Amino acid sequence: MEKVIIIRYAEIHLKGKNRGYFERTLCVNLERALKGIRHELHRTSGRYLIANFEDAQTEEICERVSRVFGVHSYSVGLCVPYDTDSIYRAAKEVCPREGSFKVVTHRAEKKYPMTSMELSAHIGGRLLDDFPELRVDVHDPEHTVCLDIRENGTALVFGKFERGAGGMPVGTSGKGLLLISGGIDSPVAGYMMAKRGMTVELLHFHSYPYTNDGAKEKVKELARLLSRYSVSGKLTTLNVAHIQEEIHAKCAAELNVTLLRRFMFRLAEKVAKEMNAKCLVTGESLGQVASQTIEGITSSNAVVSLPVLRPLIGFDKDEIVLVAKKIGTFETSVLPYEDCCTVFLPDFPAIKPKLSFIEEEEKKLDVEALMREAMASKEVFLL
Amino acid sequence: MIYLDNAATTEPNEKALARAVEFTKKNYLNPSALYGGAVSSALKEARESIVSKIADPAQFELVFTSGGTEADNQALLTCGRRNVVLSAGEHAAVYEAGVHLKNGGTELRLAPIGKDGSADPEKLLALVDDRTSLVSVVHVNNETGAVNDIFRLAEQVKKKNPRCVFHSDGVQAFGKLPVRLTKDVDLYSVSSHKIGGLKGTGALVKRKGFALQAFLHGGGQEGNLRSGTENVLGALDFAYAAEEKFKTLKEDFARLEGYRERLWQALDKEIYRRISPPNGSPYILTVAAQGLRGEILQRLCLEREVIVGTGSACSSKKPYSRVIEACGYGKDLLNGVVRLSFSLRTTEEEIAAAAQALNASAQELKIRIG
Repeated sequence: MEKVIIIRYAEIHLKGKNRGYFERTLCVNLERALKGIRHELHRTSGRYLIANFEDAQTEEICERVSRVFGVHSYSVGLCVPYDTDSIYRAAKEVCPREGSFKVVTHRAEKKYPMTSMELSAHIGGRLLDDFPELRVDVHDPEHTVCLDIRENGTALVFGKFERGAGGMPVGTSGKGLLLISGGIDSPVAGYMMAKRGMTVELLHFHSYPYTNDGAKEKVKELARLLSRYSVSGKLTTLNVAHIQEEIHAKCAAELNVTLLRRFMFRLAEKVAKEMNAKCLVTGESLGQVASQTIEGITSSNAVVSLPVLRPLIGFDKDEIVLVAKKIGTFETSVLPYEDCCTVFLPDFPAIKPKLSFIEEEEKKLDVEALMREAMASKEVFLL
Repeated sequence: MIYLDNAATTEPNEKALARAVEFTKKNYLNPSALYGGAVSSALKEARESIVSKIADPAQFELVFTSGGTEADNQALLTCGRRNVVLSAGEHAAVYEAGVHLKNGGTELRLAPIGKDGSADPEKLLALVDDRTSLVSVVHVNNETGAVNDIFRLAEQVKKKNPRCVFHSDGVQAFGKLPVRLTKDVDLYSVSSHKIGGLKGTGALVKRKGFALQAFLHGGGQEGNLRSGTENVLGALDFAYAAEEKFKTLKEDFARLEGYRERLWQALDKEIYRRISPPNGSPYILTVAAQGLRGEILQRLCLEREVIVGTGSACSSKKPYSRVIEACGYGKDLLNGVVRLSFSLRTTEEEIAAAAQALNASAQELKIRIG
C-alpha cells in the first residue's frame, strides 16, 4: 500500500492533437515546482501520479502542486493491487468513521471482473460492517470513498478532491511582459495571465531619487511571491525620473500621468521585443484612476503596436483585493512605500485627455533621447 | 561616509561595550537569584552611576526599561487619568501614549509650541488645572533641538497643582546638556543608544518616594516596577557609555555649538531656512529647504556620501512631521525638513563637506524639478 498524490488536469483534455505538448509542459512545470523534494512523477492516461516521497512532505508537496496552473484537482490517496481485499484495506484507511458516505468506482480497466456498481456495493458493505456509525447516502453524502481501477493492475483509493489552481500550464500561451508597480492590481494581473498559461516577464519603473529603495525592495518581494506561480524568476527595472522631470518642466500639468504612461508603454514595448514577449500586460481597471479611463487607455495604446492585455479591466477594486489576498500579494502591496513620488502628481489630472492635445504637448519633449536614457538605466534582478 | 543623523542613533562606544561584554561573559547568573550577588551589585552600581550623572542619587533612582519609548509609556499610561497636558512638540512615544489615553476617555490637552519647537510656558500652564494628573514636556525637542526649561515649568506646574505628576522625555538631553533634576521633576526618560550605548536599553528616572506603578508585571524585578529578567549587558553598557560621554560633556557642548553654527553659516540661505533656535541643543541643526522635499535631498546627499536625517517619509497621505507642522510652518517648508545631528566623532572637515553636499543636492534638485 503506497501513499500517492493523484493530479488531474484542467482544460487540457479539450485539446486535440496538441494534447501531448500541453501534457509535457505541465509535467515540466510540476517537476519545477517540486524541485528539492524527493519524489517520482508518473504520467498515466489522464492523470499524473506523485509517488515515492516522504510521508512528512505530503503537505509541502500538496501546497506546491496547488499553485501549478493546469492542475484541476488533486487528491492524497493510496495505490494498491486491484484485488478486492487490497482495495478494501485501502478503503478502510481513507474511510471516515461516522456520518454519511458513498463509494464511487471508476474503471479504466474494463475487463475487471466486477462492474463499478458491484465493486462500490461490495466495498461499501464491508465498510458498513466495520463501522456501525456510518450510514449510506448516495445522493448527498458527507464523505466519498473513490476507487479508481487502473489498467496496469493497480487501484487508486482516495477520499477527498482538493481544487487545484486551474487554468493552463504556464508556457503554453506564449510570453507577455507585465508592467508591475508596487500596488495591489498589477501582481493580480500577472497571476491571471500566468493562470491562462502565459509566461509572464516583469518590468518595473522607478524614479530614483524621487522614490526610495524601500519601494524597489517591495516590488522585488512581490515578484518573488509571483514567482511561486511560475511567473518569471527575474525583474527588470528602468528609471523614469528624468522623463518625469522633463514632463513636469515642459508640459501641461494635467497631462503628467498620461504622458508618463505613454513613455512607459513605449519603453515596455522595447523591453518586450528584446525578450521576445508578444504582448504587454497591465493591471488597469476601467475608470479606477484618472489614467485608466477609455481615453487614457486609448492614448497609451496609440504608442505601441504589441497587444496590451488588461485582465482586470472589468474588475472592481474589492474583487481584485480578494484575488490579491488569495495569492498572498496583498500584504506586501499595501506596505507604505510610494512607487511614484507625489512631487509630480498634478492636483487635477485630465480624465478625458484628447489625443491631439496629448500629441501636441509631447512634441515639446525629445522622446527618442529620453527613451534612450531610460533604456540605459536598465537593471535586471534575479529573484 | 559622513554620518549626520546621530539623533536617530549613534555609534556604540567601543570601550564601554568591551567592558560590559567582558563582565557579562564571566557573570551570567540571574541577578535576581539568591546566588546572583555579583551581577546584582554590578547592576546596582550601574543604576547609581547613571542617576548620579543628572541627579542626586539620594533623591532619585531609576527603573531600567527597554528604551525611551517604554519609559515614556510607563510614565504616561500609569500616571495619566482625568486630564493630561502635553506640549505639541512631544516625541511620538509620548504623543501616541497620550492619544491612547484619550481613546480610553482621558482628556488630552496639547499646549502650542513656538516656531522653534519649544513649548510656550504660559499657554501650557493655562491648560493645567486641579484635575490635571500629568504634565509631560520634552526636555530637548528631538526634531528641532529646542530646549525647554523643564525645571521652571515643573516648579510652576507644581505650584498650580501639587498633586500633578511632572514627566519629561530627556532622551535627547541626557549626556548632551548639563542636567540636574530638581524635586519638582517626578519622572525623566533616558535612552542608551543616543549616547554611545546599545539599542534596547533605557531608563525611567524617578524621584525617590514617588509612587510609580508597574507597567510590566511578573517576577518583581526593578523594585516590582518593571518585571522581566534584567538586561545586564545593556544596563552595564549604558552606565559605562554614560561615564565616557559625561567625561567631556562641557567641552563637547562648546565645540559642537561651534560646528552647528559653522554648518548653518555654510548653508545656502537662498534655499535653507533655519528651524533650530540658536540657544537649542548643540547636537541638532534642523533646517528646511524651501519648496524641496527632505526625503529626496536625503537620497541626493547619500549619493554624495553624507547621511542626513529627515523627520518625514514620502507618503501621499501625510508627508510631513506633526511636530514641525505644529511649529506653524507652511507647506513649502514642511516637506523640506532636514535634520543634521552630530556626535563626538563629527569633525570640522565633515561639517564643511556636509554643507557642500547639502547645497549641491539642493541645487541639483531645484534644477531637476524646475
